[in-house]
Amino acid sequence: MADLTIQGLTKRFGGVTAVEDVNLHVADGEFVTLLGPSGCGKSTTLAAVAGLDRADGGRIQVGDRVYFDAARGIYLPPEARSCGLVFQSYALWPHMTVADNVAFPLTLRKVSSAERKRRIEEVLALVEMERYAGRYPHELSGGQQQRVALARTLVYRPAILLLDEPLSNLDAKLRDRARAWLAELRTRLGLTTIYVTHDQIEALSLSDRIVVMNGGHIAQIGAPQEIYEHPADPFVADFIGTTNFLPARVLGEASAGGRALLELADGQRLEAVAERPAAAGSRVTLAFRPEQMHVAPPGARMEGGSVLATRVTSRSYVGGQWQVGLDLAGAALRLEARQPPTEDRLDLWLPHVGGILFRGGADVAA
Amino acid sequence: MSLAMSGPEAPPAPPAIPRAVPIQYGTALLVLVLVTGPLLPVLLQSVLDGALYDAEYNLTLANFARLARTEGFGLVLLNTAALAAMTTVVAQVVGTLAAILFGRTDLPMARLLSEFFLWPLYLSALVLSFGWYAVYGPAGYATLLWQSALGDAPWTLYSLTGMAVIAGVSQAPLAYIYCLSSASITDPSLEEAARVSGSGTFRTLWRITLPLMKPAIAYSAVLNFTIGLELLSIPLIFGDPAGITVLTTFLFNNGISSPRPDHGLVATAAALMLAVVCFLVWLQGRMLGNTRRFITLGGKATRPRPFRLGGLRWPLFILAGLYILATVIAPIGVLVLRAFTAFLSPMIPLAEVLTTANFVQIFDYPVYSRAVWNSFVVSLVGGAIATALIGLVAIIVHRSEFRFRGALHYLALFPRAVPGVVAGIGFFYAFALLPGLGFLRNSIWILVIAFTMRFIPAGIGAVAPMLLQVSHDLDRAARVQGADWWTTSRRILLPLMRPALVGCFTILFISFFKEYSTAIFLFAPGSEVIGTALLQLWVQGEVGLVAALATIQVAVIAVCVAAVRGIFGVKLHG
Ligand SMILES: Nc1ncnc2c1ncn2[C@@H]1O[C@H](COP(=O)(O)OP(=O)(O)OP(=O)(O)O)[C@@H](O)[C@H]1O
Ligand SMILES: [Mg+2]
Repeated sequence: MADLTIQGLTKRFGGVTAVEDVNLHVADGEFVTLLGPSGCGKSTTLAAVAGLDRADGGRIQVGDRVYFDAARGIYLPPEARSCGLVFQSYALWPHMTVADNVAFPLTLRKVSSAERKRRIEEVLALVEMERYAGRYPHELSGGQQQRVALARTLVYRPAILLLDEPLSNLDAKLRDRARAWLAELRTRLGLTTIYVTHDQIEALSLSDRIVVMNGGHIAQIGAPQEIYEHPADPFVADFIGTTNFLPARVLGEASAGGRALLELADGQRLEAVAERPAAAGSRVTLAFRPEQMHVAPPGARMEGGSVLATRVTSRSYVGGQWQVGLDLAGAALRLEARQPPTEDRLDLWLPHVGGILFRGGADVAA
Repeated sequence: MSLAMSGPEAPPAPPAIPRAVPIQYGTALLVLVLVTGPLLPVLLQSVLDGALYDAEYNLTLANFARLARTEGFGLVLLNTAALAAMTTVVAQVVGTLAAILFGRTDLPMARLLSEFFLWPLYLSALVLSFGWYAVYGPAGYATLLWQSALGDAPWTLYSLTGMAVIAGVSQAPLAYIYCLSSASITDPSLEEAARVSGSGTFRTLWRITLPLMKPAIAYSAVLNFTIGLELLSIPLIFGDPAGITVLTTFLFNNGISSPRPDHGLVATAAALMLAVVCFLVWLQGRMLGNTRRFITLGGKATRPRPFRLGGLRWPLFILAGLYILATVIAPIGVLVLRAFTAFLSPMIPLAEVLTTANFVQIFDYPVYSRAVWNSFVVSLVGGAIATALIGLVAIIVHRSEFRFRGALHYLALFPRAVPGVVAGIGFFYAFALLPGLGFLRNSIWILVIAFTMRFIPAGIGAVAPMLLQVSHDLDRAARVQGADWWTTSRRILLPLMRPALVGCFTILFISFFKEYSTAIFLFAPGSEVIGTALLQLWVQGEVGLVAALATIQVAVIAVCVAAVRGIFGVKLHG
């Protein structure tokens, strides 16, 4: 096992820049997740680490082995890197049984047949697939294939483990089970791992740190809680589950940590704690998660928050509760409520603390 | 947990020069030699005043002038163009009609009819020519039947029209296949719309369906014109006796049959032909690009609702059946019948002339039995070697980081533009020139080499689609786990390509087995194959033996096609 250093990684496909200036250090035994929307360059980054695509610039080092260094013209072919890569498609070889699939990397390493047999048994037991050794991939379910793909990678003890959306082909229920299983396995093995996903729940529950990517760049790196509670920009906030954005103008200036007085487009006012200083007159965007907002009882003034008049645009039952669409000064909000609203107008309670204030107008959250 | 405890295991260190390098460069070099080997001598000879193997010669353009002045050469070109054009017209009209009738209407037994319709595709034009001769020749079965009832038969095969009909009918399946694939893929909603708006069946066919097939018709027309230019057997059998010479027979007569061949002239004519066919193949490539664009517009591959023929259903069925009978079943059937008789005539009862003497004679003469044996060896062993080479080329082109893979792909597909006669002449020169290759010159291996070169594109066409379907992740996974390119190719890709390789081998086996146009320039006593023996026997007038040998070829190919379609479900065309 070893640590991984990526410096200034850049990869272009023709005129398209898929990844630009990515810098990342993954410590020995650390589990880091690349999170981001489709096409943001997650797979491209993994492929560059595994050596499947030759990057255009930058440097990649694992332990004391330099995998790639554009400046010095170093490029190790994938077979010389000892990475373990589990593909989104699993890529099990259809003409080989489970045991043959797992045996392949050992045969390449000239492991004696007795030792090979022992290790295949061991790794199949680890992924709880020992009963399926004689089956062909097409005779397995998606979840079972995923385990075999993992076993095939673990069996040769790779220096680092790269997982490209390993759960995305499973149905919701199986994915929950597989995630729990993976979390347990990860604490047992302690491999240096990069995990790619665009599922924020997977990212939050599995990772030591999360790398949020956007358009080939790194938007933020941090521990799950940090990313969730202190997103660096509206994009990260949006991606990590904050779905309500309110464009506003700062009336009363606020220093870092202080309260700012904001005015919405329709003249309603509210207060919010600003983590970063916001100048009077500047345009800002206030972000809330659905669970932070509540319906205010009619006519009530509530402590610790602001009450705002909104218009109801939609209501739908989502099991156990209602999802209510609101229009507040031209911004579309989503609220979770126990009861469906009975009227077209609704008073909304927003806490002073807990929302996140970003600089910039409505377009930053788009 | 030992998995977690033990440190990472480095894969074996890569060698300084990866194994991929010699294999990829070696294969590319082999293909380069194979493809340019026969072409360079032809091109060189066309600009030399002496023979290539002479001690002294000078560069000159005189050959071109001499060729232009050669008496009758203008007529040769005119005949060639006329034959190719008429062949194309016949093939396109018949093929398009068949595609509409068998593919788009409720004609009874359309599937069965289309099976028969495709048969000429599998057989060599040589065998088909003999079949037509046996039925419609001067002493043919149908000719005699007509004469006994109605007087002189109004047809003759010994004319440009006669030859164009034979060639057109045997090439119609190509037009049929292309039209069918476009007619069934294009969006049926266009037709439906026309029909809903009150347009009658034939109006819709004429105004909507046919225009939709236009790109396919145009592409297959150029394809058929090209094949029409390269025709050798039909002009050799029916043109030569009537004094009608085309470019291929001109090359054959001046390059092979003549005791003192004029190499400058032959090579120049061959170079001219090469240039024309190169242009046509380039045109095909461009049109195919356009056709694809046109076809994908339709999107979904829904099967359109067949047109109802109504009262014309049975009359059209009878017409189609008569066509199949006259152009497919009769020529092949009578040829086979002729093989089992001493003499065939409608005047004599069949029972009196039935015999196996023709076959006995074939196997009594070492020359002919050897030809059959050689054909098998060339097709089986040569087909296997060629399949291996083609598989390797396909993997390098589609699944490697080889620097020149684009060039290799182009090179491997280039033989499409090399007519069989030109390849034959080219290999003939190449082997005459290169010292130390004498031992090959009189063996069947020169045929294996020439056939391989000719059919690399066909093989690639059979292998590449399957290879492109194999997910890249499968070989990438092997690479990441420590397998180099060659191990990945051998252990992962080749096993996955097995069905495509079987298909490729079958196509090559059939192609090698029926090939003659290249072989007649290259065979020597001892290395005859069925195709060359057929031509020799024909010249000697041994019609019975010709029929017997042709029957053997037809039977072997029929078994082969049936086996592969039955067992492997491999499609052999399209
Ligand atoms: N072989 C290629 N040729 C051209 N462009 C490519 C290629 N591979 C990726 N790209 C482009 O690079 C960008 C990043 O792609 P990448 O596959 O890394 O995205 P991703 O983050 O893995 O997305 P997803 O979540 O959909 O898998 C995309 O814009 C994609 O279109
Ligand atoms: Mg991806």
